[in-house]
Amino acid sequence: MLYIHHTTCISPQPGTGPVDGVYRIVEPAYPGIPANTLRRMSKAVRLGVGAATPLIRQGRIDGILIGTGNGGMEESVKFLRQVVEYAEGMLAPGHFVQSIPNAIASQIGLSDHNRGYNSTYVHRGLGFEYALIDASMLISEHPGTRYLVGGVDELSGYHYRIELADGWYKTTLTPGKSLYDYDSPGSIGGEGAALFLVSGEPAGALAAIKEIETFHSTDKHVVATRLRAFLARHLPAGSQPGQQLSGSPALYLSGENGDNRGLPFYSACAAVLDPAVPVVRYKHLCGEYPTASAFAVWLALQLVAPQPLPAPILLYNNHKLTQHSFILLERFR
Amino acid sequence: MGVISAIGDSLAANRKSLVHKESGIGYSGPANSRYTGEIPFGSVALSNAELREHTGIHDAGASRTTLLAAHAFRQAIGDAGLSGASLLTATDTALIGATTVGGMCLTDELYRDTNGGAQGSDYLASYDGASVQQYLQNRYGLSGPVTTINTACSSSANAIQYGARLIRNGLVRRAIVGGVDSLAKYTINGFNALQILAPAACKPFDEHRQGLNLGEGAGFLVLEREEDLAGKKVYAELRGYCNVNDAYHASSLSPEGEGPFLAMKGALRSAGLDVSEIGYINAHGTGTENNDASESQAMIRIFGTPPAFASTKSSTGHTLGASGAIEAIYSILNLFYQEAYPGVNFSTPIPETGLRPLTEFQPMKLEQVLSNSFGFGGNCTSLVFSAAPAGLAKAI
Repeated sequence: MLYIHHTTCISPQPGTGPVDGVYRIVEPAYPGIPANTLRRMSKAVRLGVGAATPLIRQGRIDGILIGTGNGGMEESVKFLRQVVEYAEGMLAPGHFVQSIPNAIASQIGLSDHNRGYNSTYVHRGLGFEYALIDASMLISEHPGTRYLVGGVDELSGYHYRIELADGWYKTTLTPGKSLYDYDSPGSIGGEGAALFLVSGEPAGALAAIKEIETFHSTDKHVVATRLRAFLARHLPAGSQPGQQLSGSPALYLSGENGDNRGLPFYSACAAVLDPAVPVVRYKHLCGEYPTASAFAVWLALQLVAPQPLPAPILLYNNHKLTQHSFILLERFR
Repeated sequence: MGVISAIGDSLAANRKSLVHKESGIGYSGPANSRYTGEIPFGSVALSNAELREHTGIHDAGASRTTLLAAHAFRQAIGDAGLSGASLLTATDTALIGATTVGGMCLTDELYRDTNGGAQGSDYLASYDGASVQQYLQNRYGLSGPVTTINTACSSSANAIQYGARLIRNGLVRRAIVGGVDSLAKYTINGFNALQILAPAACKPFDEHRQGLNLGEGAGFLVLEREEDLAGKKVYAELRGYCNVNDAYHASSLSPEGEGPFLAMKGALRSAGLDVSEIGYINAHGTGTENNDASESQAMIRIFGTPPAFASTKSSTGHTLGASGAIEAIYSILNLFYQEAYPGVNFSTPIPETGLRPLTEFQPMKLEQVLSNSFGFGGNCTSLVFSAAPAGLAKAI
């Protein structure tokens, strides 16, 4: 069990919806980061360090674990374009150093003078989940420790072009139309940073992450079977107050993203759940990006914080029709 | 285990080169870089066409990085007696991989694809690090946990440690762990911009070292639980590990080697070993001014007089995200064959430290070997391997 004590999020919210075909973050002023440090940071690093700054002020942390699907992409391509355009002449190394995805976790470490555990997961739509799994292993291996864990992704223009050419974004958007009302392939790109301070200590926690499961499949029946087994294992009948059916969460956060090719997976999950379980979709708030499930965890915490919503909460996300994750969150306070 | 590097395309070929002090550093390199022929690299001798033939991979989207990984992966599962079919349904088998360059070896293709245009290349889904593990997962139908780690040059040491911890935490029974990187115009120019590429063959721990040689390669290892070992080939035990951050600078290590010190110390603590029990160190030893000075200071702080050590990067070049796995494999061969591999090109110790790496091959009684991997961003990881008990060690 992994208890979440604090969280921060930099997302396209509050916003008015997609601009120029993507959900883009309006970057905050980043109070607390010196201006000359900020100037040298790439956008992905700014997002990560910016979201981490309020959390590292909450006291000692024993390590930093970041999932990122395309962290460093903007800097990579900037450097690569210099390589090609200057015919491999003598280049400045700044973009190269910032292009390495571990720049986010290591810059957070540098800003906190943190010499603890430090790792970066770049497995596309599951990077955040593997950071969470690592945090839960660390907590059981080293009782009493606390970690900063999160998902950070920027959407650069270069990355947008590659993803668009590969069919992952809608080519035309209709103003005013909801993300979920399209019947066409592709989603709308997004970006964000959602970070969490976690430990094995329940006192004062906002919520607990009970289980994380990841897998890879192109078969909706596999998704349904795995969800059924996941719920039966972790939410047996009668384990929750008022729960009638075996494996029924109180709330379901669905990663549905407007790509009609992914709908069969989401429908398969919905069919496993009690129809009375309320469904919350969130990609219209953050857009689609590899670590969007970190935004979903942050959103779930917002939902449980102000009012005593019944627990537990199931999160299902699908990335690029192949990568799947279930996260089971329990309201704690 | 499976390995491919500038000094061979198999375990046996790599060992033979290490034993005979045959360096793989030379003047071949990526055809599309102007530095090829000008500065030395540790290139894998096999071309992409030959790698495709060896691995049976003909998909257009498979990059050289993926081909190198597939080559080593295939050897590793073959060596462990795991057939493709037995992996198919094994939800209790994890694949934890690592790479820094991923599909960025396709520098020119990526340049064209980011320029936009209606028609993308075959490589749109091949540029990121995850593309390597996704390819292996699809090809072998792996259904257990699969992920990709990128902590720069310590990436695959962290992949090994993550796999071991999945096993120790009871999340899987077996983990296939490793890393890969291919030589790329992208990284060559990045390291060149940092002015740490040596104009000649690198000289780790030498006073007159001039930088590193970039290399390429892949290494994969199959980790199993102790209780599942009956009847299986056992090379060694992964005894301890530690991941820390130097928290000093984005692309260089602290002069006193705080990160390397904490990583080595933590790995010893995790292994439950005293400093006197380490017989040999496969050093990170890139051959840069900064790394070798910092790592030397850290070794002196821990060991006083360090045990026998060397950097096999003097033979393979720095294989970045693959180096942790390749050097873990060399460390395991040290233990399995009870022999110590030398560095090449060393002549004069750094005056401030006076440390001399091993320069000649020698049989050596070894119980424990330490392997260091330090990366940009201050990511430092050390691993400790122990010789397998005589009753378990099976001939190769």
